[in-house]
Amino acid sequence: MTLQPGRLGKTPRERWPRPVDWRRRWLRRALVTVVLLYVGILIVAPIAGLVAGALAQGLGPVLATFRDPQVQKAFGLTLRISLLVVAIQAVFGTAVAWMLVRDDFRGKKFINGLIDLPFAVSPVVVGYMLLLLFGRQGLFAPVLQTLDMRVAFAVPGMALATLFVTLPFMIRELVPILQAFGVQQEQAAATLGASGWTTFRRITLPALRWGFIYGVTLTLARALGEFGAVLVIGGGIQGRTETATLYIYRALDERQYVAAYSAALALGLFSLLLVLGTELLRRREESRQ
Amino acid sequence: MSRRTLVLLSAILVVSISSAACGGNASQTASGGDSTAGPTSPTTIILGAYTTPREAYGQLIPIFQQQWRTQTGQDVIFEESYLGSGAQSRAIVEGFEADVTALSLEADVTRIQQAGLITHDWQDNPTNGMVSDSIVAFAVRKGNPKGIDDWADLAKPGVQILTPNPKTSGGAMWNVLALYGAALRGYVEGVPANDEAAALDFLKAVLKNVTVMDKGARESITNFEKGVGDVAITYENEVLVAQMQGEDYDLIIPRSTILIENPIAVIDAHVDKHGSRAAAEAFVQFLLSRPAQEIFARHGLRSVDPAVAQATADQYPPVEDLFTIAYFGGWHAATPAIFGDDGVFTRALVDVQSK
Repeated sequence: MTLQPGRLGKTPRERWPRPVDWRRRWLRRALVTVVLLYVGILIVAPIAGLVAGALAQGLGPVLATFRDPQVQKAFGLTLRISLLVVAIQAVFGTAVAWMLVRDDFRGKKFINGLIDLPFAVSPVVVGYMLLLLFGRQGLFAPVLQTLDMRVAFAVPGMALATLFVTLPFMIRELVPILQAFGVQQEQAAATLGASGWTTFRRITLPALRWGFIYGVTLTLARALGEFGAVLVIGGGIQGRTETATLYIYRALDERQYVAAYSAALALGLFSLLLVLGTELLRRREESRQ
Repeated sequence: MSRRTLVLLSAILVVSISSAACGGNASQTASGGDSTAGPTSPTTIILGAYTTPREAYGQLIPIFQQQWRTQTGQDVIFEESYLGSGAQSRAIVEGFEADVTALSLEADVTRIQQAGLITHDWQDNPTNGMVSDSIVAFAVRKGNPKGIDDWADLAKPGVQILTPNPKTSGGAMWNVLALYGAALRGYVEGVPANDEAAALDFLKAVLKNVTVMDKGARESITNFEKGVGDVAITYENEVLVAQMQGEDYDLIIPRSTILIENPIAVIDAHVDKHGSRAAAEAFVQFLLSRPAQEIFARHGLRSVDPAVAQATADQYPPVEDLFTIAYFGGWHAATPAIFGDDGVFTRALVDVQSK
């Protein structure tokens, strides 16, 4: 493996140049303080508040929250939708990224621009757009009725909404890597008689590995946390279309603050472990080489 | 190494696809089982409600489940959804297949009826289709430090008000009607009775003091509990339920306010599709029964049963000037006149926000 692309792609850690005068040293300290404060206020403080809120009445109520079958159902649904979405994005995201980089076709620029749309559209609007298509008065309503399929206010609609909001992550991770990787190794493989599939499997895919892993991580994290779109298209029916985030919202409305904070903490910790785990995996591989 | 990672990745993919697929299959067979079920297998009632009465339903539903089991031998499963009344009504029109809907106001049920989903005359019963009553009141901080005793105090400079957004919340519509009605009826100092221009100015003055407009009444009152604002305009029952749950703030009832009447209806198209009509109709009948009405009264709601209302009168003080939606000519007249594109509230809000 010669190439190590990826969002955290590193040059050897640069050391700050030897301090030339005291002013520079103070500037540096001030900057470090600002960075610590910034991260502290934006990330550490809310997490600490969440931990304090969840543990306000000790560990018992926290554990009781996760014995509640409705909480288990909500987390189960979140996990099911998220894994399904990750699986789909992994396959189609890779395909789209590959097409965008390796192929030339009419409308490529247009598609390229469209892929970023989910970053710009509010998830609540995404939910309503899907209702306009799949709702009772929606465009596809007659088709769905004849097939007796339910999309809106059911899991398929929620999966669609989550697919929409997570569309860019995989593709945007893979495209720059494919571009940087170039075609030389693939061409070399082809001249040695490798088939297209073999080339993709033995050359392209291994090069994409880290982008792929980061894409999966980000897609999963985003899918776990989606709220607005799944609320509008799912309706938040307890025990049926209530995901973990929707449960948290309901628990807050019901003044079950410990339950809400506990569930929020669990969801947050899961995402954190996901990101940390990916980072750890990467460090291990780097140190091995 | 790279091969191992690939194997790992594909394993994750396979597991996730199959688990997602299994989950889907499981739920499909479950719902398929429901529709082909015999009379003794469980039936399901989907309840689409507004945000406020959830604690009452939390107590009422288990009682009904037990009654239904002893009467018919059948288990009834409830699936509940609580959204702002307007949002819930629109969700049902868009395809949320609720069997029973309990909303904040008649107009939100009328919307479902006009979509063709309710085909019977749902108001043809002794309570005119209503299941509970309440009034618009204020929640203020303990000891009422800002001295908010009546509508006129809401327009004072520096008073911070919470009221939900009438686009999504039924409670918010009741709040606006109570405020505007009290002004028109001469219960606001400095606003002559029946002076629409002066009442509109008063509405604007109050809207200027509104700091937060939440999606639903419950969200609004819990934000008040978190320390936002000086006063929340809300359902009387919201404050009473919060006080029961240990929240420590005061309820103020203005001299003049509107009687909130909350409708309930079985949705014909959905109960017929789900085969849940018998259970759904029995549930509504149960909610109107005396024991259920007493439970509503224990959760801060004024009873629509005159006997229960009389028995609980000491908990629910009379209002000096209590008016109903009939004062505005009913919802079919009030909705466009107050909340329509050219309505009083819409104009007032645009005016306040553009300044």
